[in-house]
Amino acid sequence: MDDEAVAIRVRDLRFRYPGAARDALAGVNLDVHRGEFLGITGPSGAGKSTLCLCLKGLIPAGEFSGSVSVAGQTVAPGSAYVDGSALVFQNPETQIIGLTVAEDLAFGPENLRREPAWIRGAIPTHLDLVRLGGYQDTDTYRLSGGQKQRLAIADALILEPAILILDEPTSELDPIGKDEVFDVLERLRHERQITVIMVEHAAEQLAEMADRIIVMQDGMVVDQGPPDQLYLNPVLFHRPDAERAPQISEVLFQLVQAGLLPAEEFTAREQQGIERLRAFLAERQRSPLVLWERGRG
Amino acid sequence: MPVGYSIYVERPSYIHRRLDPRTKLAALVAVFVLALAFNHPAVLGGLVLLVLLIGRLAQVGWRSMAPFLAGSVWFIVLGVVIWPLYVRSGSALFAIGGQTITVDGLLFGLAMGLRVALMVTAAGVWMMTTSPQKLTVGLLHLGLPYKAGVAMTAAIRFVPLLNAERATIAEAQQARALNLRKGNPFARAIKSVAIIGPLFIRAIDVAQGLAIAMDARAFGVRDGRTSIVELQLTRADRAVLLVLLGASLVAIALRLLGIGLITRDYL
Amino acid sequence: MRATASDHARPQPALSQGERVLDARASIEVSELVFRYTPSGSDVLRGISLRIEAGEFVALIGQNGAGKTTLAKHFNGLLKPTSGSIRVMGRDTRTVPVADMARTVGYVYQNPDHQIFAQRVRAEAAFGPRNLGLSPAEVERRVDAALELVGLQEHADDFAFSLGRGQRQKLAVASVLAMEPRVLVIDEPTTGLDQAGARGILELLSRWNAEGRTIIAITHDMALVAERIPRTIVVSDGLILADGATRVVLSDAPLLRQAFLRPPQVTRVAQQLSEFGIRPDTLTVTELLAQIREQEAIA
Repeated sequence: MDDEAVAIRVRDLRFRYPGAARDALAGVNLDVHRGEFLGITGPSGAGKSTLCLCLKGLIPAGEFSGSVSVAGQTVAPGSAYVDGSALVFQNPETQIIGLTVAEDLAFGPENLRREPAWIRGAIPTHLDLVRLGGYQDTDTYRLSGGQKQRLAIADALILEPAILILDEPTSELDPIGKDEVFDVLERLRHERQITVIMVEHAAEQLAEMADRIIVMQDGMVVDQGPPDQLYLNPVLFHRPDAERAPQISEVLFQLVQAGLLPAEEFTAREQQGIERLRAFLAERQRSPLVLWERGRG
Repeated sequence: MPVGYSIYVERPSYIHRRLDPRTKLAALVAVFVLALAFNHPAVLGGLVLLVLLIGRLAQVGWRSMAPFLAGSVWFIVLGVVIWPLYVRSGSALFAIGGQTITVDGLLFGLAMGLRVALMVTAAGVWMMTTSPQKLTVGLLHLGLPYKAGVAMTAAIRFVPLLNAERATIAEAQQARALNLRKGNPFARAIKSVAIIGPLFIRAIDVAQGLAIAMDARAFGVRDGRTSIVELQLTRADRAVLLVLLGASLVAIALRLLGIGLITRDYL
Repeated sequence: MRATASDHARPQPALSQGERVLDARASIEVSELVFRYTPSGSDVLRGISLRIEAGEFVALIGQNGAGKTTLAKHFNGLLKPTSGSIRVMGRDTRTVPVADMARTVGYVYQNPDHQIFAQRVRAEAAFGPRNLGLSPAEVERRVDAALELVGLQEHADDFAFSLGRGQRQKLAVASVLAMEPRVLVIDEPTTGLDQAGARGILELLSRWNAEGRTIIAITHDMALVAERIPRTIVVSDGLILADGATRVVLSDAPLLRQAFLRPPQVTRVAQQLSEFGIRPDTLTVTELLAQIREQEAIA
């Protein structure tokens, strides 16, 4: 893969918080391709949030080693502001700074000393992107959780990053809020060339949207791949205490394990999974024995 | 406690829309100067009416201004009761418990109460007609450092949030049988630790989260910030500022001449 | 609002972990409950009636703002009805102060940081029982039992804030369990937790329910409700849209859509396979696999 197509390159990234017993990141190697939608999952404490901060260039105080390159810019402690990426956090409340929606959207560009005229023009455009068109003058406290989080996404997009990083953006939202955010990300994926990296526990939605998913544990990447392959991993998923996998993938996994379904037919996505099961069951029901049973009953 | 960020309410009035926040700030300062310059109840009462009139011109409702007046009634009562014990000039009216109460005493007491009413009502009308966002930018133009401006906005932004957190914490602890109604004030104060402790920690959490979010949006990366709010002192602003300056100077002059006062002995 | 004399005359028995709690009285009886926050505001609850028996495990689901949290806060007397009534263990909540209700109904908030002070785990768990005025020996017994129940025994002397989010959640649950309430209301027990943490909390609740405690869980996690909670109540726009066996409620897609919810993925999949004899009320992966295997066995 040539350099042009690699948006982020991480080599042997290690990080330890001050006074911690073990590394938060214990040698992460990762290439993120331009325009890719990369999902990140894994248990609490795996280092996912720390990785997000490092990719944004907000390296916390602590011991850092390895190399990180984001949109061509080298990221290290004390390096200049990384404008190739923008980060959306988990908590909708603490990301909203302005008293009105417009004021909040303007915060980032104002910090970068962009022309007021440009900012004023960019505000309606970016509100439309997240389906908050017309909300410029709304007081931010009036917004629902889902709306606040969509505003946070707009706040990130108005910085015009090449890479959008989201750290568990929907974990504090109700089902409607979750759907709204996933909707926006889905559209973004199709309408723009932006690279997206998302940490998410909602396995079902992640499987639908991600081109590739990496699983982190104890500061390392333990597996990665497209959803339709990754969720076949029998160690990381499909066990009582393991990481959550989409339910459809759990069903198909068991069929693959029992030798009833070839591994190539495996999928972690809902519609495709339904079609596989349809085909599977239809085949079974066409067998002569079944027809005979049916005829009797 | 305001439901939102401040009691500012958007209205299509000239004062809301056209007047620069710096002018409005100067107006508030001028009112305070006038309030302190005079101590005759008739003058102060007239100024209160003037402020109310300006409020109405700015389309602020009577019901919005009423609470500020209502709150001042207590000070008027207090003033009329206490000040006559100090101000003894003028003709005597009657005596209570060995103390002679004079006309001037009563009028001065009334004036002190009206002074509070004037300052409080003016502050209220000012808050209702000045948007916090524009005010912050106005202060920046007057020399407030840009980081302090952001801090101001963040503080306003988070007051309702922390208030809601406080309410939630109080509920959660009540659900663990914390009874804040029982016991003497001292015991109740100690019990409040169960609310203040978590609230303090929540406030720190919020502040930390906010700091990281601000860093992620390039806060402090350049020297200074631009603003989508562009302020300009118009001719109307300059005219108003001139009038305010004039009024303040006249007030001070009258004070020195002893006009508009009940007594020179007290402020 | 003072507790009546009869409340004090009937002492709460000390319950050991294994004892089943049998109480013929319904745990919660709600009748035509209407609630609004201010006299001029709109009704948040518009006439709710329901009955929860002792020992039930109920899920309360619905979108944010539908009224499920408002309803739950009536269960421990934090909110009092504007009209209508609610009786908990036979007592009208309007006659009992909140601090007294805490004896009977425990309420665990969604965010453990809304309850935890900066002190040690043991002291944190003791806060509730101490407020109940129990003897130091009794407080210690309850705290130990509660910490063991949630698996935090070994951290008993650590600082509460040195624990991770999942463990703090367990501490919050333990702090409420230490008051040994008959009824437990828990708000979003699995939000912000990873799979292992979520499973842990649900297992805890199931175990506690098996001992006879009534549990009401407010949650968005449909898959976990389908797996573990036998009864589901759907709240939408201040009214109860559905109240019944989880199997019936969670497989009713049109009804859930009214409340802006969806059945768990496995149910959605099963409903697309009905022409193959797969039951539309399939709730778990295990159930779907069993049916598929049945088909396989015939062929």
